Amino acid sequence: MGLADVLFGRKKLKEAQEERLFALSTARVTLDVELGLRPGGRAAVVFKALSSGDFVRVENDLQELLDVAARDTGSRVSRKEDEFGFNWIVVEDPDLEDLVATVHLVGSELKARGFGPQLLASLFRFDGYRHPVYFVYGYKRGAFWPFVPTGNEKTRDNAKELELKAKLEAELPIEQDLTRWLALFDAPV
Amino acid sequence: MKRKSFGRDRGLTLRMLFTSGLLGVLYIAFAFALIEFAGVGIVGMLVIVGGMSLVQYFTSDKLALLASGAKVVSEQQAPELHAMVERLCAMADLPKPKVAVIDTDIPNAFATGRNPNHSAVAVTTGLWNRLEPREVEGVLAHELSHIANRDVLIMTLASFFAMLAGILTRYAIFFGGGGDRDRNGPPIWLIVFLVSLATYALSYVLIRTISRYREYAADRGAALVTGAPEHLMSALQKISSGIASIPQRDLREVETMNAFFIVPTNLKSSFGELFLTHPPLEKRLAALARISQEMGRPV
Repeated sequence: MGLADVLFGRKKLKEAQEERLFALSTARVTLDVELGLRPGGRAAVVFKALSSGDFVRVENDLQELLDVAARDTGSRVSRKEDEFGFNWIVVEDPDLEDLVATVHLVGSELKARGFGPQLLASLFRFDGYRHPVYFVYGYKRGAFWPFVPTGNEKTRDNAKELELKAKLEAELPIEQDLTRWLALFDAPV
Repeated sequence: MKRKSFGRDRGLTLRMLFTSGLLGVLYIAFAFALIEFAGVGIVGMLVIVGGMSLVQYFTSDKLALLASGAKVVSEQQAPELHAMVERLCAMADLPKPKVAVIDTDIPNAFATGRNPNHSAVAVTTGLWNRLEPREVEGVLAHELSHIANRDVLIMTLASFFAMLAGILTRYAIFFGGGGDRDRNGPPIWLIVFLVSLATYALSYVLIRTISRYREYAADRGAALVTGAPEHLMSALQKISSGIASIPQRDLREVETMNAFFIVPTNLKSSFGELFLTHPPLEKRLAALARISQEMGRPV
């Protein structure tokens, strides 16, 4: 944040950093062998479309994006909207590498259409623990954090999350500031 | 393709620069007058005012929460509110502030804290109950923009000398009462008193002007973060109409917090805009409508 932001107020949001997403593919072996976490075959990108934007254009853009993703990858891609007014692009692919690649593609396509600053996060599902384990990638931070909902009301398993952080730190860019570990309880994955 | 920044308002930036500059010139003149006539040492003056400003600056989050009767709530106590704040913070790239609730039916909200790491955002139960979730989100985004824009820092700096001038107008007689009377002309305490009074009056207006500009900036920030200025617009309308219809007695409990609230409670002020900490509703709505239009334009 620059001095001008403090003096005159922010005029734009931080642009998305999507490059470090690929670190998740590299961490695959550790996740599987050491932590017993298998890819759940589902991931999602969450972002907020500008509501006052030209509605038809945004709709066309998103449809075009889904078509591009379906054509260029073998993944299944669909779209949802949630109660907070956020858009979710849900990606399904049994292979983690393809899943990460498609999520990256969706992110870059959104960025190319001018939604870059509106990108919030993407999240990847893993199974093999008592509850599903998610890895959230924050586009503003360019880092991952674990998210383990207990399924019991809206609570998360902090102990497990901290354990995952400690074990994966060497391989995955993990967000060090715990206050930034956004929870996404109603994620459609 | 990069989106251009929305709501880039060169006029607003220039006005902010001009007002701050004016305030700076005023304070330099005031400091000069104090040193020249009252014989207050620079060091003594800086210690008094600096000390007060530091106390205010470092305790601002706790002080404001205490003064407004806000209670910090945990994630278990208010899961939806926490979830909303979390998402907005992630979008704005801010650390999550403390979340507090004020138990009053008047819909309102404020943010405080010296920097994003020591900040708090508070909403009243009235805001949460009376407004739609998307409107609450707009209001929270406005408050978080105050934190992102470091408004407590700016306002503390802006009121640095105004505080000293305010104190001196009250105690000028003790400052210059005795001492050298052999000089001709009006007594020193009178000069100090008049200079302090003028400084206080002028800075009062200037600080309020800056405060109004910061409100526009926070409205713009909220539009950016939520991507939906229309929800903040409807929230502002609801909040102001709600405030006007509730009896004055209830409002007095929260009156000291005005500068921090999203819509001040004493709307019936008969003074002109110059003396208000917030711009009038119509002007805020107009500015938001402009941003909304800019967002609608194809990139």
